[in-house]
Amino acid sequence: MKPFHSKLTAAFAVLALAGCQKKADTIKIGLAGVQTGSDGEIGAAPIRGSQIAIDEWNAKGGVLGKPIETVNRDDEGKPDQAVAVANELVSAQVCAVLGHFNSGCSLPASDIYNQAGILQLTPASTNPTITERGLPHLFRACGRDDQQGVVSAAFAFDSLKVTQVAILHDKTAYGQGLAEAFKKSFEAKGGKAVVFEGVGSDELDFRASIAALKAAGGQAVFWGGMYKQGGPLYKQMRQGDFKGALLGGDGIYETELIKTVGPKADSVFITFGPDFNGLPVAKPFLAAYKAKYGQEAGGYAIYGYDAANVLLLAIKKAGTTNADTVSKMLRSQEWPTLAGSISFDEKGDLKKANYVIWTIREGKFAVR
Amino acid sequence: MLETLVNGLSRGAIYALVALGYTMVYGILGMINFAHGEMFMLGMFASAFALGALGSAGLVSVGLTLPIAILVAMALSAGFGAMNERMAYRKLRGAHLLAPLTSAIGMSIVLQNFVMLSVTKGKKDFPQSVSAPLADTRWSIGPLNISALQVLILGSTFVLMIGLWFVIQRTRLGIALRAVAQDRTMASLCGMKVDHLITWAFMIGSALAAAAGTMVAMYQGVIRFDAGYTLGLKAFAAAVLGGIGNIPGAVLGGLLIGLAEDLTTSAVGADWKHTSSFALLILVLLLRPRGLLGERVADKV
Repeated sequence: MKPFHSKLTAAFAVLALAGCQKKADTIKIGLAGVQTGSDGEIGAAPIRGSQIAIDEWNAKGGVLGKPIETVNRDDEGKPDQAVAVANELVSAQVCAVLGHFNSGCSLPASDIYNQAGILQLTPASTNPTITERGLPHLFRACGRDDQQGVVSAAFAFDSLKVTQVAILHDKTAYGQGLAEAFKKSFEAKGGKAVVFEGVGSDELDFRASIAALKAAGGQAVFWGGMYKQGGPLYKQMRQGDFKGALLGGDGIYETELIKTVGPKADSVFITFGPDFNGLPVAKPFLAAYKAKYGQEAGGYAIYGYDAANVLLLAIKKAGTTNADTVSKMLRSQEWPTLAGSISFDEKGDLKKANYVIWTIREGKFAVR
Repeated sequence: MLETLVNGLSRGAIYALVALGYTMVYGILGMINFAHGEMFMLGMFASAFALGALGSAGLVSVGLTLPIAILVAMALSAGFGAMNERMAYRKLRGAHLLAPLTSAIGMSIVLQNFVMLSVTKGKKDFPQSVSAPLADTRWSIGPLNISALQVLILGSTFVLMIGLWFVIQRTRLGIALRAVAQDRTMASLCGMKVDHLITWAFMIGSALAAAAGTMVAMYQGVIRFDAGYTLGLKAFAAAVLGGIGNIPGAVLGGLLIGLAEDLTTSAVGADWKHTSSFALLILVLLLRPRGLLGERVADKV
């Protein structure tokens, strides 16, 4: 075995050298997020969106005169796997990471990127804590759950005239954080949360909770979690003879939800970014996405596309991939995206979140 | 309150059906079948596909397609159960206890990934033309509000359990199974095909799990490749609670865990439901280490 081992070591040494040399002629960007498992569908969308943006940049000659190389890693939506992915991307010597998807994954991974001096721009992680830890090289191209909570709570209280709400969540960093943000805003409005409980992220039978919230006098349900559970929850609310509305955050904005609840479900209300389907600037992207992946671009695909464009533009303007310089550049000006121009504050959050209420109309998501 | 009881019993009946498979295999082999949860999951997918195929063949009457789909799922899972026994257990019959246990866990991972890669890594919606009419038909009898689906779950669980009891107590196969459970060497000396009978135990257990899978698929409306994991764990806990190896014990354990979960959700909140069901398990095991009905070792199939 010994000669073999030494051969192996030699081979690795050669590979490592090759890696270093390669670094000189390409710009490596890490793409990280959930792409398999139960969040696989929704999580793959921003990565595909980013990939399309990077392909477009490469077609125009890359950035800083070098082609862009992507290193795509799947974190399976699991925090421990996200740490492994982050370490892999660090050793692959990427200069920036677009990801992760789940807040529970972005949280631990961001510490690793930050220690390694790698810039991270997440297209989808909305938990407030992520940017509250003072990490200098961390940005997000989406809003925060406390901003979503305000919009959703105001809608429930003012437009739906709901005063007693039942709040269920999936016990993840995203779901529970969003549920707590909603509760805070809703109670600040003068409403009351009659039920607030975590059901776990693999539960699909909500009948016990629905019976309990009916008994407690809930008028609507807020779901802090993903579409995979939100759909069955809505169906079981109706089967359990509960007529109230289902409110939710960006985690249930996924066409798979409509397949579960049916095209006629009219009292599902979701906070998500502004409508891009009618925007002429988004047309080429939507067509490119459909041509490449054979399906309609979900809402998250556009976040991924925008995040990649903003990152590459900042690298281009900074003239370097150095995380400090690019971070300063990102904070210094407004950036054009398909969904309008965005700018970052000191923490790395969007200065202005642009959540609007969506609902299901004729089998499609539509702004209410 | 009554609604909570009905919900809990429906959930418990499902646990009981799956627990029966654990308890049968344990009764005969003295081993836990860790791939059993996957038989449940395969049943979910098999019935969904059977319904899809029947639907595209033009059959729409639920009274006809649903029983066919359940039978297809049971047959398919029974086949996978037999395969599981042959590949993960029979080859390792003389080996250390941990060897078949590990190979069964391996089998479980293989089956999960097989479904994930070949069907979908996300969720699949169960054909709603079948489940929606059943779930939407509700009857109110006084304060009791029960759906046709819940009646179906409770009813078919009851029928399957009576059927299993009949097979074990009254048929030649059942007598042979009990003989193997009592003393494998003696049974083999009497001319029984022991390997054959062990395969039968796996097949019966898997078929029951597949029936449970179909019920859950209709009850939840969506199916996933990893659905067997948590449910398998709960059903295993139910089998242990009732006294592993004991058939009425598995039923009792399943119903108790289902009720404990839903009553906790209604009284304290869903956050505590796993805590309460597993606390119940620990408490019972402290007081009766063999489980609630576990003392009748002689009758352990």
